[in-house]
Amino acid sequence: MISLLHKAGAFVVRDFRIESGYKMAFLMRIIDSMMLLVLFYFLSQLITPHASPEFKGHAYGYFSFALVGLAFARYFDLTLRMFSESIRLAQVTGCFEAMMSSQTGCITVALMSSLYGLISGGVQLLLILAAGVVGFGLDLTHLDLPATALVLALSLTIFIAFGVLSAAAVVWLRKGDPITWILGSFGTIVGGAYFPVSMMPPWMQKIALVNPITYCLDALRMTMLQGHSVVTMAKPLATLLVIVAIFLPTSLGLFAAAVRKGRREGTLMQY
Amino acid sequence: MKQLSSSSCFAVVGQSVPEAPIISVVDVTMCFPIVKRYREMLLHPFHPRRMHTALSRATIKIQEGDRVAVMGPNGAGKTTLLKLIGGLILPTKGDIVVNGFSTIHHSADARKSVGFVLNEERSFFWRLTGAQNLEFFGALDNLGGADLRNRIHELISLVGLVEGAERVVEGYSSGMKQRLALARGLIADPRVLILDEPTRALDPIAADEMIDLILSRIYSDTRKTLLIATHRMDEALKLCNKVLVIDKGRIQAFDSISDLKRDRITLPQYYRRALAVGSL
Repeated sequence: MISLLHKAGAFVVRDFRIESGYKMAFLMRIIDSMMLLVLFYFLSQLITPHASPEFKGHAYGYFSFALVGLAFARYFDLTLRMFSESIRLAQVTGCFEAMMSSQTGCITVALMSSLYGLISGGVQLLLILAAGVVGFGLDLTHLDLPATALVLALSLTIFIAFGVLSAAAVVWLRKGDPITWILGSFGTIVGGAYFPVSMMPPWMQKIALVNPITYCLDALRMTMLQGHSVVTMAKPLATLLVIVAIFLPTSLGLFAAAVRKGRREGTLMQY
Repeated sequence: MKQLSSSSCFAVVGQSVPEAPIISVVDVTMCFPIVKRYREMLLHPFHPRRMHTALSRATIKIQEGDRVAVMGPNGAGKTTLLKLIGGLILPTKGDIVVNGFSTIHHSADARKSVGFVLNEERSFFWRLTGAQNLEFFGALDNLGGADLRNRIHELISLVGLVEGAERVVEGYSSGMKQRLALARGLIADPRVLILDEPTRALDPIAADEMIDLILSRIYSDTRKTLLIATHRMDEALKLCNKVLVIDKGRIQAFDSISDLKRDRITLPQYYRRALAVGSL
């Protein structure tokens, strides 16, 4: 366990040192998020509180709805891409082979290569929410912290599972990653990140039903904007737990199989 | 005069040292799939992919402390053999046992005994310093704290990188990168060190310095088992006590250099004859 924590620290320190050479990149990502914040703020001014049944009986309007969706959808999207991108980057820079010849297994390398990205993305997420509260009147007074933390942890695990699945696709196919394509931009829109699912046409609502993002975002809005507690969130939490139980072992198993295939066929280092 | 054949050449090595070998390659075949072309995919979508055999039925035993030059033409299968022993790839058939652990079934344990010195210049994080790279790769090899710091200090001094250790790798010369690669391969103090063409990108002086470094500082101090892929006869003669010749994915010859000297065969003669056996 100590060894794993030490390795995790080594990955974070490595990426922080590399990233500190590209200071503008982090700043540009923040500015990009702020621009979206402004865009959604003005867009929300055009939308009446009763534009969707989603907002009926709730204290929050479209801006709060969209801001939570925007912040977390971006974070989930980042989580989804981080694993495959870090593996691909290591393959292209030639460092993957060096890491694979070490005493650390491929799954550990893949998971830990993404740690810094997840932390840095988390900071961006907090900055977006903080800017929303301070500059645009986002109301988080109903936020239930324990329930939100639990939902966030489960949601993050789901997206880590899909991120690992996406990394498996990169190792297996070398080029082309259908997982990120399906769950990325399209998945966040259909999952109700920017517009309530109830407003979508029936065929999109059917897709939303099998889209894990829908459940994550619904649960986050319930705990952050409506003040649901862990007790009242039992059903959504159970749903998220089931998704984790299905997809986490499956994705780790598939990733291990892809790595083994890559080792057998000598394609692990190819890109 | 020594007779060379693919079946007889192992006996000399096997008989002379009775202890259990540190590396056993047993009947190993490595096949790489060939990517289907669009035409093949359209005309024969369900046909299995064609395979390229990079190594065929290789069997060798290497004793602890041996320094083996792995020689052969380009594309002969040298790097494939080294990657198999290093556990970077898994064999299609056969098994490889390193320090008692199969690279197939106990890959992580087998890798603990092997340090790999890649000839890939890009295998470092260029934005980090040499010392920071070693710190990262040391952590991957389960080292940490004061032990890791002391080991890095020791290795930087060993490979002669004291002045460049705090500079980013981006500004390193090829020789410095190769020294850093050597330090990285040694960081976990492995019993087997694999060097894939360690002097390939180096000028003659830097190449000689690298050979001296391996022989005088690394081998003489620690008596590690060395496997060195090389095209250079002088390098093989200076660094190694055994020579293994691969051609077209087959091991054509494996003998000790002292036996060649005893039989008055020069290394170039031995190499040519081994390749001639392969082409028969």
